Amino acid sequence: MGEEKDLLAGLVLELRRGTLILSVLSQMGEAKYGYALVQSLEEKGVEIDPNTLYPLLRRLEKQGLLESRWETGGSKPRKYYRRTGYGDEIYRELKNQWRQMASGIEALLEEEER
Amino acid sequence: MTDRDRELMERYLYQVVRRLPKDQREETALELQELIGDMLEEDGSTMEDVLTKLGDPAKFAERYQDISHCLIGPEYYDTYLWFVKVVLLCSMLPVFAVGFLDAVRKAGPGAGYTGAYATNSVISEAVFVLGSLLGAVVDALSAGIAAFGAVTLIFVILEWQKVKLDRKRERQWKVDDLGTASGKSFSGWTPGVLSPVPHPKARISRGDCIVEIIFTVVLGVLLIFAPHFFAVIFPEGEGGFVIPLLNLEQWDMILPVFILSLAIGLMDNVVRLAVGVYGKIVVISSVLCNAVSLVLAVVLLKMMPFWNPDFALELQLYLGGDGEIADWLTHWNGDTASSLLLAVIVFAVILDSGTVIYKTLRYGRLR
Repeated sequence: MGEEKDLLAGLVLELRRGTLILSVLSQMGEAKYGYALVQSLEEKGVEIDPNTLYPLLRRLEKQGLLESRWETGGSKPRKYYRRTGYGDEIYRELKNQWRQMASGIEALLEEEER
Repeated sequence: MTDRDRELMERYLYQVVRRLPKDQREETALELQELIGDMLEEDGSTMEDVLTKLGDPAKFAERYQDISHCLIGPEYYDTYLWFVKVVLLCSMLPVFAVGFLDAVRKAGPGAGYTGAYATNSVISEAVFVLGSLLGAVVDALSAGIAAFGAVTLIFVILEWQKVKLDRKRERQWKVDDLGTASGKSFSGWTPGVLSPVPHPKARISRGDCIVEIIFTVVLGVLLIFAPHFFAVIFPEGEGGFVIPLLNLEQWDMILPVFILSLAIGLMDNVVRLAVGVYGKIVVISSVLCNAVSLVLAVVLLKMMPFWNPDFALELQLYLGGDGEIADWLTHWNGDTASSLLLAVIVFAVILDSGTVIYKTLRYGRLR
C-alpha cells in the first residue's frame, strides 16, 4: 500500500513539475519578490516549495526569461524578479502550447469516460 | 530575531552556499536570508519551523546545480554497468583462483611443517589453509576495487568527452544558422547535426575491442597478483617445483613499465570503442599508442633484466641434463628470447597500425 502511495506521489510530482515554469512565468508580468510569489501562487491553489522556487527563478533568469534587481529601500533588501521581453514571447508561446495540450488531454479523458 | 535564531540561520545558509559555485554564493545567501526573513514574519513561525520547511540544505543546494552534474549519464549507464560486471568477473575470479591454487599447492601433503608445529600439524595446516584462503579473498577484493575504479574513470572520461562534443555541435549549429532569415537561434538538435552513416567496413568491431580490453585486464591482473605463475611448474614433490620464467627479483622495477604498456594498449582500445569508426582520432591514437608501446617493449626486453637469468640452468638441473628438452635448453638465452618476442611485437604493431591506416584511407573519413 505504501509503495502504491509513493508511486502515485511521484507521478503527481512529475505532472506538476512540468507546469511549474508556466505557473511562475504567468505571475511575473510585474515585478515580485520570491516569497510574495510563493504566496500568490498558493492563494490560487498552486503549491510550490520555496526550495523548488528559488533555484527555478535563478535558472529562468540565467535563461534570459526573467530579470532581477535588488531593492534596498525597504526594511530589508529584496530581490525582485520580472519577465523580460524574451520571457513575454516565450510565455505567450508556452500558454498556447498548454491550451492545446490541455484540450487534447481533456478530449482523451472524456472519450474514455463515455 | 534572537541571536540564537541568527546563528541557526547562518549555519543553514552556510550549509547551502558552500555547495554552490563560488560566484553564486554571495547572492544566493542574500536571497535566502530575505526568504527566511519573510517566512519568519508569518504568524507564529519559529526559526526551526522555517528551516524545517526549507528542508535538508544539501538537497536545497542540489536544486541550484545544473542537471549536467552527472558522473555517468543515462546514455552510458547501461554499458557502464555491463562493463563493470565483466571487468569485475575477469579481475576477481583469476586473482581468487590464483590465490586458491597457491594455498592448495603450499598445503599439499608434507608441505614442510617441522619443529614446534609438527605435533599439531593438522591444526596448523588448517589454519594455514584458512589464512591463505583469506589472503586470496582479500586480493580478489582489492583487484575488484581497482578494476571498478579503472572502469569508472574511463566512463567518466567518456561522459565528459560527450558533453564536450555536444557543446561543440551546438556552437557549430548556431554559427551556421546565423545566415537564415528568422534570426532566431535554435540550440536544440536538428537533422543538420546528424553525421553520415559510415561505410560498413569503416565501423570498428565492438566485439574485437571488448575481447582485447578483457584480455589486457586479465593479463594485468595476473602480472600484478601472480607473476610467479608465468613459470614452468612441476606438480610433484613438496608443494610442487616452480621455475619462474620472469625475473621476479627485479619485478618491482619491471612491473610498472609492463603495466604502463598494458594501460596504453587499453587506452587505445577504449578510444576505438568510444569512437566506433575509423577516422582521424583512431589513426592518431593507434599510431601514438603503438609507438609508445614499441618503445616500452624495447625498454622492457632489451634494457631491463626481464627474464629469470637462471631459468635454463634451473630447468636443466631439475630435469637431470638429458633428453630432447635438456638439449634444446642449452640454446635458451634471454637475449634470443627477447629478440624473438620483440620481432613478434614489431610485426603486430605494424600490422595493427597498418590495418587502421588502410581502413581509414579506404573507407573512413580523414576530416
